[in-house]
Amino acid sequence: MSFIEFKNVCKMYPGSKVNTVDNFNLNIEEKEFIAFVGPSGCGKSTTLRMMAGFEEITGGELYIDGKKVNDVAPRDRGIAMVFQNYALYPHMTVEKNIGYGLKNMKMPAEEIKKKVDWAIHILGLEEYRYRKPKNLSGGQRQRVALGRAIVKNQKLFLMDEPLSNLDAKLRVSMRTEISKLHRELGATTVYVTHDQVEAMTMADRIVIMKDGIVQQVGKPMELYDHPVNQFVAGFIGSPQMNFFDVDVNGNNVRFADGSNITLSAATAEKLKGHQGMMTLGIRGEDIKVIGPDRKADADTENVLTAVITDTEVMGNENNLYFSFGGCQAVARVSKYEIAQIGDRISFTFVPSKLHFFDKDTGINFMEME
Amino acid sequence: MFTKKQRRINWILVAVLLVLSIFFLFPVIWMLANSFKPDAAITSDMNTIAAFIPPAPGNGFFDNYISIITDTNFLRYMGNTLFYAAVLIILSIVVNGLAGYALAKIKFPFRDQWLMVIIMLLIVPTETVITIHFLIIAKAGLLNTIVGYILPLIVNPFNIFLFRQVFVSLPDDVYEAAQLDFCGPVKYFFTMVLPMSKTVVATVSVFTFLNVWNDYLWPSLVFTSSDLLTAQIGLNSITSNENTTMGQTLAVITLVTIPVIIIYSLFSKQIVEGVTSTGSKEG
Ligand SMILES: Nc1ncnc2c1ncn2[C@@H]1O[C@H](COP(=O)(O)OP(=O)(O)OP(=O)(O)O)[C@@H](O)[C@H]1O
Ligand SMILES: [Mg+2]
Repeated sequence: MSFIEFKNVCKMYPGSKVNTVDNFNLNIEEKEFIAFVGPSGCGKSTTLRMMAGFEEITGGELYIDGKKVNDVAPRDRGIAMVFQNYALYPHMTVEKNIGYGLKNMKMPAEEIKKKVDWAIHILGLEEYRYRKPKNLSGGQRQRVALGRAIVKNQKLFLMDEPLSNLDAKLRVSMRTEISKLHRELGATTVYVTHDQVEAMTMADRIVIMKDGIVQQVGKPMELYDHPVNQFVAGFIGSPQMNFFDVDVNGNNVRFADGSNITLSAATAEKLKGHQGMMTLGIRGEDIKVIGPDRKADADTENVLTAVITDTEVMGNENNLYFSFGGCQAVARVSKYEIAQIGDRISFTFVPSKLHFFDKDTGINFMEME
Repeated sequence: MFTKKQRRINWILVAVLLVLSIFFLFPVIWMLANSFKPDAAITSDMNTIAAFIPPAPGNGFFDNYISIITDTNFLRYMGNTLFYAAVLIILSIVVNGLAGYALAKIKFPFRDQWLMVIIMLLIVPTETVITIHFLIIAKAGLLNTIVGYILPLIVNPFNIFLFRQVFVSLPDDVYEAAQLDFCGPVKYFFTMVLPMSKTVVATVSVFTFLNVWNDYLWPSLVFTSSDLLTAQIGLNSITSNENTTMGQTLAVITLVTIPVIIIYSLFSKQIVEGVTSTGSKEG
């Protein structure tokens, strides 16, 4: 049995007619770092709060450490949680905030002190020990919240968008800090975020949700390279994957503007049962720009052309925006391949990186068995 | 930062308020000054500036006060009242606080309708229900007991409403965090909710104290035994006694005023904050 098992877990809020979380199934192994991602309102927090016991589970079963917890009070579930708004005790000092749970566990005072010292030390809060939360910055408050979670030695950490109130730079450094803590403590962690970069960089596995339904569960690169549907493909990765409306006929792909490319035999084989109008997806870095004026030497057949409408210079790489086949697209190129707005570029799609999605269901035909 | 014009307006305001406060202070100063004088001096000083100047400290300076303290039970009445106020402050905070917390944070059927009822109770003057209170207390055989005096004063719709308004803006996630820190709901209320809402606790305490201290009607109905009487009743019986001198009257009024002045000067800031704030800037 896995450490945590969701079995068809559902949540219907009172007064609502639909499940906010619908048939959630997931196994989480011990010491895993799992990220829930998805757009706002997709049910991430609801799911996490059902794990914590703050929301009633209205259908299905949830097991933590082999024990069914549907009706177990939050305090008895063996969890520690980090809240989006920190939820510190405003009238207590940093030290008291961190030690409060231990005090209620009736731990002897000298042991509490040892643990609090340890947490304060690894979180670098020594200077702020006797301050109250209102005299701390956002990052410091979030570290206190982390401290409060880690001293209790719980086996499961739940975090609901813990970094969303911090500025970009602090977010990056706290990201590293949380990852480091996870490696050192080895507690199973479920981390809710709407930021796919956070999920990609921190998680062992990512759960992508939409409208209360799990879309895909997998390792970050699995989701990136093999999205099961158009939603996952579009959600993971920045800039977003490019999508074009195409007409597939055998090994021929026709774009809305009349340009054509020819599919490799392997790709055409996978698309055998699926012909006609569909959506082609390709990531920006899988668009190979051949040059502003040069005609391609090799593979002349599949060379396409477009005019650059916008550029984004990032420093380490550049994004070239162009309009093609009736859709806006972006190519990611190295910093040496600068092009100007108005330049005409030639490019090819890396054949093995093409995705084809059903127009209605969004299913990725390339990932179907 | 004020502009020049604003600063001038401020000065004018200060001047007006100063004049006004002198008007209000005159009677108080007069009372204080004359409470140290024998009646003959009070009469002879009348209509002169000396009426506002206390006599030089010396023989007989505290005579009025000493006779009040030694010849009457007034100190005991003050002690009684302080005791009732202390008990009622604690009970008010616990009972009205818990009610306000329930109305703010706990989901139960018809909660909002309950709140409306409580708000409507705010407009019912206490005098209209006092007969009913009296009848109930009398039927229960609690006349002339401390319990009978205190019981009807505990629940106060205004205090419930004040607590509710402040508690409603307390963040829910703090309660959730506390649960995971093994803090139960009762402990949460006393060790988290109340300390996080110090301002409203102070406000309710002050109001309760003043209500108890200044109330005349209710204690005069409930208490007949002179052991249990309150300061206001004591004051009334002393001042309406024919043998009480003018100086003694002023001394006893001064004594009754002192706690009120102390409380106001200590808590005036909290009272204003408590009534005007929503409690959201507690941090
Ligand atoms: N107490 C509630 N009663 C009724 N509906 C609720 C309640 N809490 C949340 N919802 C609804 O459930 C849905 C999922 O909410 P949830 O907070 O889980 O989203 P989320 O994925 O965490 O979004 P976000 O990224 O914005 O935090 C939303 O449509 C929300 O309006
Ligand atoms: Mg959320």
